[in-house]
Amino acid sequence: MSTPSVFTAPREWTRLHPVSPFLGGWAVLGLLFAYVIHQRLPDWVAGDDEDWEFFDRFPLIGLAVAAILGLAITLALSVWRWSRTMYRIGDDAVYLRQGIVTQQQRQARLDRLQAVDVVQPFLARVFGFAALSVQVAGGDRAGVELKFLRLGDAEALRNEILLLAAGLRAADDAREGEAAPGDPAPGDPARAASSLLDHLTERAQALQDPGAVLAGRESVRTSVAAAEEREVYRVPFGRLLLSTVFSGPAIFLALMPVTALVAAFGFHYDLLGVVLAAIGTSLFAIIGALGALLGFFWTRINGGFGFAAAVSADGLRLRHGLTETRRQTVPPGRVQAIRLHQPLLWRGKDWWRITLNVAGYGENDESVSVLHPVATREEAILAVWLVLPDLGDPDPHGTLGHALSGAGEQGGFLASPARARRLDPLQWRFRGVRATDRALLIRRGRWERELTVVPHERTQSLGLTQGPLRRALRLANVEVHSTQGPVRPVAAHLDVDDAIALLDAQARRARDGRRRQTPEQWMTAVGLDTDVPATQGGDRDG
Amino acid sequence: MTGRIAHPWHTEPMSWYENSAAPWVPVSRTLITARLVPLWIAVGLLALGGVVVALAVAQAWVLAFPLTLLALGAWSTWVVIRQVTAHAWAEGDDDLLVRKGRMFRSVTVVPYGRMQFVDVKAGPLERKLGIATVQLHTASPGTDASIAGVPTDEAARLRDRLTTRGEARLAGL
Repeated sequence: MSTPSVFTAPREWTRLHPVSPFLGGWAVLGLLFAYVIHQRLPDWVAGDDEDWEFFDRFPLIGLAVAAILGLAITLALSVWRWSRTMYRIGDDAVYLRQGIVTQQQRQARLDRLQAVDVVQPFLARVFGFAALSVQVAGGDRAGVELKFLRLGDAEALRNEILLLAAGLRAADDAREGEAAPGDPAPGDPARAASSLLDHLTERAQALQDPGAVLAGRESVRTSVAAAEEREVYRVPFGRLLLSTVFSGPAIFLALMPVTALVAAFGFHYDLLGVVLAAIGTSLFAIIGALGALLGFFWTRINGGFGFAAAVSADGLRLRHGLTETRRQTVPPGRVQAIRLHQPLLWRGKDWWRITLNVAGYGENDESVSVLHPVATREEAILAVWLVLPDLGDPDPHGTLGHALSGAGEQGGFLASPARARRLDPLQWRFRGVRATDRALLIRRGRWERELTVVPHERTQSLGLTQGPLRRALRLANVEVHSTQGPVRPVAAHLDVDDAIALLDAQARRARDGRRRQTPEQWMTAVGLDTDVPATQGGDRDG
Repeated sequence: MTGRIAHPWHTEPMSWYENSAAPWVPVSRTLITARLVPLWIAVGLLALGGVVVALAVAQAWVLAFPLTLLALGAWSTWVVIRQVTAHAWAEGDDDLLVRKGRMFRSVTVVPYGRMQFVDVKAGPLERKLGIATVQLHTASPGTDASIAGVPTDEAARLRDRLTTRGEARLAGL
């Protein structure tokens, strides 16, 4: 039953899929190269070498030759790089060795695992390939990215990595189709050819449903089954589109022609002259500004397209993306903090944008740090539940309601004193902090609103700060230091005694939280380590 | 060097955050020297340049430049002395506390179990003066927990103590 194409996570150094060099960004690079070479051509031609005259007469041929040359060079470089890139997985880490001139080896330790993503750029998606990105804690770029594997293999590898990281050493037994002695070794040409054939037939089947492939939801056979998952929410495209319309940049774009008309007819400005003058002087600035504006819509729609979240034993699963689909798995307890933000224009709809901090995901990375691009209030509460199944409060709905849209001390919040008004005239009444048994809630915002939630056991450190103005008003800020990411929890403008009390209490709660927290190997915590999930292929995941 | 040193100029009590669990250990006042030497070398050179220029152009008003510099230097000296005398740390049972600043003051509480690693750094001047900077790193870039001006031998002991405590209470991320 073990067909040669059954994937086993390599314990020995293995190359990535041979198709990898053709899927990368080489096309773009090749074009760049071609352009550069074409630009250089006339220089060589300018010499008295008569042979080049031919190209002078037929510039198109020169361009074509340059393009082919450029593509060939980049492709050769990509293949070379591919041949020097090897990976393997061990019980404790994923290892990657790469580099053309100097080889460097990287390892992602599984006990520091924070998230595993299966990423499919457009081209890779069409041909059924995916990159696997393993995020670990500890400094920038500490993770490992495997580009590219067949989609099924990438998912199998992800599932196995998650099993190992969860503390299930038995993952070896879970694999079906362990390479039998007679089987060709991985990397063997015969095996590669047969798996290529397999792959092509699989692609032919998959492409019968092009919608699923393009949306990145095709389900593939994997040799290591994914944990059962249950979808929690999915963002309708209409709402996503509408949410970008109700945004600052959209209003700005809509108001531009209106102001122009008012200026032209109301105040008799020589509009055309002004526009021409502006274009003449700062065309690039205008193009840049427009590009940034359109870039905003593009990032939001591209990143939030088809956004779906699910829960599984492996933790939180997120799936989204238009040009590049990303299937994220964040194991339990890896979310360091979340921020629910409601821009002014979303208040009518009561929509919230939810971002999160996960160690290993970088700074403000729009494509990975979103938990929900545009949530209704119910979904926002669901999203908080996804991260914190137990808020540690007898009435989570009521408390979150006060946290999302309350003011003052309702709902047991610690509010800023009235004298904070002199420093913070707009928001002071809406600032509030409340600690439940499991998390700290920080609320602020009058017109636009924001709620930050930090689980106590995820507190990295705490800070108490006070400048001269706050000292004069007997106020202080309490900061909760979280890992790098878009969420920076600060409880600002508290009464200084309240702030000190909060700091002490929070240090104590963080201590208790750490004692209670689930260990890094989350399956061993609940005694599931003997129960290895089913191994049959063809499970749903995708 | 570990004890609580009586401070002649540390008259103003830090009344805003008193730590009951552990005593504050002030940093070595050698740190004042370590900060003032480079400051005054820079101020002195610039002021000297100003005087030379004033002599060269024979204009009295140019002297205002070095005089302003000297005044700024004097003010910075006062700030440095105030900062250093406010800088202290305390080793609690579960957390390390670091206190900083007078004008803009802050207290940072770092649980031992959250420490990723501890750095001990010392530049040439600091080495000569026998002090070092102990810096704690957590997984958060926001944690600002560096203790400047710790006597060298105490710095090594502090690092070892912190590491041991960190290992005993290590709690992932």
